[in-house]
Amino acid sequence: MVSIHPLRRFPKIVFSALFLAACVSVAHAQFELPALNTPPSGEHHVGKIIWADLVTPDLSAAEKFYGGLFGWTFQRTHAGTSDYSVAMLDGRPIGGFFEKPIQAGQHKQPYWLTFIAVREVGAAMRVALAHGGKMVAGPRTYPQRGEQAVLSDPEGAVFAVLASSSGDPPDYLAAPGDWIWSSLMSKDAGAAAAFYQQVFGYDVFDMEAADGLEHLTLSSDDYARASVNSFSGTARRYSHWLNFVRVGNVTDAAAKAVAMGGRVLVEPRADRAGGMLAVVADPTGAPFGLMDWDASETKTEPK
Amino acid sequence: MNAVRSRCVAGGCGILAVVMLVACAVTGVGVDVDGGGEVGYVGGYYQPYGYEYGGWGRDYHVGPARGNYGHDRGGEHGAPHGNVHAAPSHAPAYRPAPAGRSAPSIPGRSRGH
Repeated sequence: MVSIHPLRRFPKIVFSALFLAACVSVAHAQFELPALNTPPSGEHHVGKIIWADLVTPDLSAAEKFYGGLFGWTFQRTHAGTSDYSVAMLDGRPIGGFFEKPIQAGQHKQPYWLTFIAVREVGAAMRVALAHGGKMVAGPRTYPQRGEQAVLSDPEGAVFAVLASSSGDPPDYLAAPGDWIWSSLMSKDAGAAAAFYQQVFGYDVFDMEAADGLEHLTLSSDDYARASVNSFSGTARRYSHWLNFVRVGNVTDAAAKAVAMGGRVLVEPRADRAGGMLAVVADPTGAPFGLMDWDASETKTEPK
Repeated sequence: MNAVRSRCVAGGCGILAVVMLVACAVTGVGVDVDGGGEVGYVGGYYQPYGYEYGGWGRDYHVGPARGNYGHDRGGEHGAPHGNVHAAPSHAPAYRPAPAGRSAPSIPGRSRGH
């Protein structure tokens, strides 16, 4: 039996250790994500939808599409082998694009991830997990952004929680091109609302509807934050969050999205409470909503 | 003596490598949100293929209360005016908002005002 002298193994071991260290430092390189508010808002609105991240296989194509459609501008950042682009509207960061390739054979779908404000990520996670939620990605802190984690609700709809280190954005009417609304489609809207109420402390309002389906509004600080809606089950429908961008004219915006390579998923239509909405997908298939809003349509301010 | 020393050094390096790997696992470095490779960012989530967003009928009503709309059924499951589906016969899983409160709308204050 031939024994290898330890000194002959030494270089290999050192090399392996150094290689591992290099891998760790690359992976651990932090994204320089911008603060949600500059200067800090000093406000906290638990339950408010405060951010959205698009994961896409083609960052440049996504920038071109959303920039052309909504007038967003972009600031790129880089860490490790990944690129991240911050979408800006009127100089304010409103969302992020994360580039990540889809490997051949992978059945993955680009998606806008919805971020909901919390005061403390760990506490929100504990409540979510105790009520049937699951952890998708554990908490991570980004210096200027804050702490965030990705969870799924009991039906599997994925969302993120974010404890912003610069406070939450103030409650203003969304400008055209900004996120204005979010909806959750769920097999059991009542059970879903109960889950989110436990995690975020929402007030839940049962909205009237003639379609036999359940439509609920989640509110915090006396503002509507999102809706929870039941759908009649089909094999290919899964619970999901969907975010809407405010536009001046839904029909025109949907047509423009199609002209730029997107497609319409839900044709422009009148919503139950008035106004128009539609659902479209960007060229890579990531769905998002379009919604118009007249400033006079806002009900009496509660504050 | 040298052989013993070399073994110690080699062993130390091996332990160091193991410790670094464990540290990766504990701190979450390298955690991939959907199991498809290194991402280094919490939020890079791809949805499984096959989610269906289209195909809705005329019942796709998901928007917030607007203007004079938005009468809710509050905690009583009452019917302030028409166009209301039957109240559920069972108690909802959630805690309904207090009776008498109408569903709020989105913020209406413009920036700079």
